[in-house]
Amino acid sequence: MTTEATPPPDATPPTDATPPVAKDGGGGGAGAGPRALARQRRLRSVLRFWRQYRTHRAGLLGLAALVLFALTALTAPLTVGSDVAGVTGAPGRPLESPSGEFPLGTDRFGRDLLGLLVWGSRVSLLVGLLAAVLSVAIGALVGITAGHFRGAYATVMMRITDWFLVMPTLVLAIALATVMSRSLGTIVLAIGVTSWPTTARLVRAQTLAVESRPYIERAKALGGGHWHIMSRHVLPNVMPLVLAQTTLMISSSILAEATLAFLGLGDPTVVSWGGLLQEAREAGAVSSGAWWYLVPPGVAIAVVALAFTLCGRAVESVLNPRLGVAR
Amino acid sequence: MNTQDQHGRARPGPRGRRSRTLRFGTAALMLWAGLATPLGPAPQRAEAAEDKQVLTVAVAQSVDSLSPFLASRLVSTSIHRLTYEYLTNYDPKDARPIPGFATKWSPSADKLTWTYTIRSDSTWSDGKKATAEDAAWTFNKIMTDEGAAPANGSYVTNFRKVTAPSPTKLVIELKKPQATMAALDVPIVPKHIWEKVGDFSEFNNDKTFPIVGNGPFVLTGYKPDSYVRLKPNKDFWRGAPKFDELVFRYYKDGDAAVAALQKGEVSFVQGLTPAQAAALEKQKNIKVNDAPGRRFYALATNPGARTKDGERFGDGHESLLDEKVRHALFMAVDRETIIDKVFQGHAVKGEGYIPPRFPQYFWKPSAGQELAHDPAKAAQLLDEAGYRKNGDGKRVGKDGKPINYRVLCHATDPNDKAVGQYLTEWWGELGIGVTLNCLDNVSDPWLAGTYDLAFDGWSVNPDPDFVLSIHTCAALPTTPDAIGATDNFICDKKYDDLYAQQLAEYDPARRAEIVKRMESRLYDTGYMNVMAYPNAVEAYRTDQIKSIETMPSDAGNIYGQDGYWSWWSAVPAAAEESSGGSGSTGVVVGVVAGVVVLAGAGVFLAMRRRSTADDRE
Repeated sequence: MTTEATPPPDATPPTDATPPVAKDGGGGGAGAGPRALARQRRLRSVLRFWRQYRTHRAGLLGLAALVLFALTALTAPLTVGSDVAGVTGAPGRPLESPSGEFPLGTDRFGRDLLGLLVWGSRVSLLVGLLAAVLSVAIGALVGITAGHFRGAYATVMMRITDWFLVMPTLVLAIALATVMSRSLGTIVLAIGVTSWPTTARLVRAQTLAVESRPYIERAKALGGGHWHIMSRHVLPNVMPLVLAQTTLMISSSILAEATLAFLGLGDPTVVSWGGLLQEAREAGAVSSGAWWYLVPPGVAIAVVALAFTLCGRAVESVLNPRLGVAR
Repeated sequence: MNTQDQHGRARPGPRGRRSRTLRFGTAALMLWAGLATPLGPAPQRAEAAEDKQVLTVAVAQSVDSLSPFLASRLVSTSIHRLTYEYLTNYDPKDARPIPGFATKWSPSADKLTWTYTIRSDSTWSDGKKATAEDAAWTFNKIMTDEGAAPANGSYVTNFRKVTAPSPTKLVIELKKPQATMAALDVPIVPKHIWEKVGDFSEFNNDKTFPIVGNGPFVLTGYKPDSYVRLKPNKDFWRGAPKFDELVFRYYKDGDAAVAALQKGEVSFVQGLTPAQAAALEKQKNIKVNDAPGRRFYALATNPGARTKDGERFGDGHESLLDEKVRHALFMAVDRETIIDKVFQGHAVKGEGYIPPRFPQYFWKPSAGQELAHDPAKAAQLLDEAGYRKNGDGKRVGKDGKPINYRVLCHATDPNDKAVGQYLTEWWGELGIGVTLNCLDNVSDPWLAGTYDLAFDGWSVNPDPDFVLSIHTCAALPTTPDAIGATDNFICDKKYDDLYAQQLAEYDPARRAEIVKRMESRLYDTGYMNVMAYPNAVEAYRTDQIKSIETMPSDAGNIYGQDGYWSWWSAVPAAAEESSGGSGSTGVVVGVVAGVVVLAGAGVFLAMRRRSTADDRE
């Protein structure tokens, strides 16, 4: 993750956030070129970020959990393989309780639930990640443009944002997932387009704050156009906020994905944690006491969501100087 | 007409479609019911402990209409069985037609006039006498009013004239001989009430209670998706039911219904999953009834949707028009595995169209005819048909694109999804792609013919005429937008000829022979792959119900019978306090733990969020 745009904690106008323009390259110390300088500065800010992040114990815990889950998901093709999701070659009898052969028992097809849990992490993490990125991208776009252009455009965009904000997200997502075909893309889209308004509001507020600074006026006076101001000055300054928001968004996206899959709106042929819960419910696992079908996916969802939240909080408090004081 | 099963395709119609909002509500409710019930407070007092004996039945299917002229779902037609009389009933032992509203019936020598003797000891619940005049009026209404025809119109298309010369005599004149005259599943309604109804297509019979009827029960209350309440008809000619009240209570979630049964809140639950049945079998005071079902579970092929005039519509895959392809798909399906893994033994392997529950009509293919599980042969058939594999191992259609079938499945039926996963893998090995299209409401693509294959299932009546009629050319819709009686647009000349023959055949043995030939023809076309005959898996509390009649009485089902036998015959157990279930303790602990973890995370989040709230923009 890049943190070159981080404003220093002492809140000096973050003009250094813009990549240096090549023409005054001679002013650099130690005779290094502007690119090397930029690299050094980036490295320094990454290190500074890490030093501060390290002080958040909860953040480290979350990061460790995330690395573990990410490794599990990435190595799943090697450890369990896609065959684990196959129903025709299922190794066990339906709904076997945990044993030496199947540490977490089997599902209603006789598949190994531990394997499914590992395999399902891929979908849950992927959907969570993509949906969060989509949601934050929409939110950032709306927020920056609304903050920059103001006037009628901003009013209209903000009223749309308000409308999405008061709509119950889950209901809207269910509606979208129902009318579209059942696939992962649909779920990503359904979560992404319903959860962006908070980000939009946050980003707009930050944009307004940035744009009121004198250097923006100077940039304008020097002939900087809308695109230049938004991409070179505003975006780098709202980036920390966007990053922190993305990390936080992932956990709610994973929860939303699980919820939609649990409600039977996911693709039934794809293994995900929410989908496992839905299958468990349909197979009657609750009333027949097959706890091994319900508890592991539920705990996995909770732990991953918690890990992302812990990381997001830590990132937020490092990157956002205004929060730093409170910690 | 109890053709509609719990998970069967909803008969399309304006009333059959639930609104989207309702479905969201249901989904949310399901979530809450699933969570809330196992955690509910102390078990409610068993209703049997009161001095009023109440029989509570858990149901999930919504009532489509309480009007006998419109209702086609299993739950609604079952209620009509309880509240109205039909001309004939079915013997609970062997499903042979026995006296109902009519005591005797006989055809004329030319087979075209049927005379029914109507019983004189049946009265409507408002005190008026039920006579042949009511029956004649009911049939005439269905024949003359389009709005009264949706549910039972198929029974009267061949009627020329229906008259009631005297209060105990009903005469039906036919255009052509019709073998189903002793199996007219049409509820007879009181003329003096129903002649005041204006638009039959709009009237749902759910405004004024009690609803006047002459069956063993009287409908006294109804709230959509909440309950249906019935009280016994003390003057019923066959004898009054033993319970003081019969209530169908809604549980949209299967696990919630089972939990209610374990607590004694309901007396009867049906549609159990194998896991639920296994868990309930171990509990005391609960009897699990696993009976051969009267339903078939099939995979229907879109044979190219068309109207009666031959106008084609829809977009079924052209390769499915080839019989070889259909046979190959048939052969790639391992029905043994489906029975073993999906139904876990609670079903019988599919053969012909009609389940073995009806032995006189049950047919199975001969060894030479059978399309047994044989993937190698299936691949060979596809090669012969010209659908060869390309470089990626995918079979390519005539249009040069890889074949990918859209399989329509019911989102509400776990079996559809489970079997769908097997199909994806079995056909995937043949090089054919599968897209499972699971919908809450499959009616729209189904009627529009915009599918390739679909999960299909009908409950079969003792007289198979109806389920046979839905595959005739006559059942096709008149225009692409119209709703035909057809199941999946099958139109086959040979089959139609046999259908006409069986309908005109009054000799039961000969008729059964023709019906079997129809099944054989249907099997050979490969349009309907009957994979299984699912059992009726149901359970009831023996401390609330002492005895209940199954149908057939020897190893039969209880819910959705062809008759009112089960609820009419149910005898209450002596009043005693029932003990709450304890088998789900493990689950409750698990769920509680899960909820605590989630709640903890939630509180944590909320607190972190609140603590930073002031700092945020």
